[in-house]
Amino acid sequence: MTMQVATGPPALREGEHLLADITATIGRVVRSVTEVGAAMTALAAAARAGRRPLRRADLAALRPLVAQVLSRHRGFAAGAGVVLAPDALMDAPRCIDWWWADRGSGPGQLEVDLDPDSAEFYDYTTTEWYREPARTGQPSVAGPYVDYICTHEYTFTVSVPIVDDGRFVGVAGADILAGEVERMLLPRLSLLGRAGRPVVLVSGNGRVIASSTARILPGAVLRSSGTAAAAAGGLPWMLISGPEPAA
Amino acid sequence: MPPPALTTVRARTLFTPLDAGGRADTVTRRLANAIRLGLLLDGERLPAESQLAGQLGVSTVTLREALATLRTMGLVETRRGRGGGSFVRAPDDADRLERPLRLLSLHELRDIGDHRAAIAGTAARLAAERALASDITTLREHAERLRGATALTDRRRADARLHIEIAATAQSPRLTRAEMDLWSEIGDLVWLPMEGRDVTSAARDHDLLIDAIGARSAGRAREIAERHVAAETDRLLELRLSLHRR
Repeated sequence: MTMQVATGPPALREGEHLLADITATIGRVVRSVTEVGAAMTALAAAARAGRRPLRRADLAALRPLVAQVLSRHRGFAAGAGVVLAPDALMDAPRCIDWWWADRGSGPGQLEVDLDPDSAEFYDYTTTEWYREPARTGQPSVAGPYVDYICTHEYTFTVSVPIVDDGRFVGVAGADILAGEVERMLLPRLSLLGRAGRPVVLVSGNGRVIASSTARILPGAVLRSSGTAAAAAGGLPWMLISGPEPAA
Repeated sequence: MPPPALTTVRARTLFTPLDAGGRADTVTRRLANAIRLGLLLDGERLPAESQLAGQLGVSTVTLREALATLRTMGLVETRRGRGGGSFVRAPDDADRLERPLRLLSLHELRDIGDHRAAIAGTAARLAAERALASDITTLREHAERLRGATALTDRRRADARLHIEIAATAQSPRLTRAEMDLWSEIGDLVWLPMEGRDVTSAARDHDLLIDAIGARSAGRAREIAERHVAAETDRLLELRLSLHRR
């Protein structure tokens, strides 16, 4: 089973354009949440300068900005907010300040159980979207994965680290539904695949994001190594031409 | 909104306003569940009637009706005078644990087992087809957490989480939701103290299951998951029958 580079230069170019476009779209969300992260850094810095502890109530100052992210990316970002490192706040050992987009009844706040002794305790520090920016200090695009806490859908989470005075304070982020990404890609992807070989967009770890063929579906893993037809700029995503489904 | 009079995050979930159709029996059920699940602790004082009614979005008349029912169920005690009010009375452990089991017939238990096997079996098969190496690491972490859990609530949580993670590894939001619904329904039952129920045997099943998922052996993963659920269902059926032999 081998994977092959897209057949002709025109197809290759079109694939590159497609990747450039989706990278740009997701890049805009990254820039938006970076603004939220910067505002959070400013809050932490102000508290530090004033020699007072950071409190939960301080986060209220971020909410207009979070609402702006959700309205700017309406129909694309399903939720956004900040998630703080344990003990970043004085009055809450763990904190998620996350809002989902208005679906007719106004934006709503995500409520999760952050009590470690509870049966429903949600330990966000183990998630990829929290762990990766904490580890690398860089923005991360986690997923697609089944988000059974917030969106309850197949989701990407874009997240950026929040750092104050060299200390990791948490992440700012946004959820993007995988269905929306696919909707954006599918028309051009299926055109690309029309010529002969199927074309598949995979994440850095080989998970299929979108595909021009029903034989390889989103969520599948491409196990074989092969040559990428085109690689995305800022995203570890690849467009692969002519893959076979995993045995 | 006034700050919640009860302190936990769970209590806030409990006090989200009821729909317009909310009636005394809904309030009764919600409070009874909260007490049974230990969200409201034994001896905890409930907020003043007007405040509690406001938080639940019902009239004080409706709330009083619900409290009266809870009193006859022995789950709430009302004391008069100074320092008075309504207090939670949690049933003792064995009673609290067995009550939900008593409410289920054998055929209901069997049916729940069938449903669980269908969901867990398919989730395991698809997880084996779709897992990444990092997913296997996550699953092993959850399995390890269950092995280290000593309290019943910790075991219940770790066990539920592992099975929900397997469904998430299958990349299916629907299967994941189905596992979550099933576990919120039967999670308390799965870890009832009973013969043959210990962390070691569950951990052995889980290890085999994760091995099969990691080895991409879809058929074998499904088989192990189904057998695991069947064994748990058998134990519950046995326990349900034994309630009549005491």
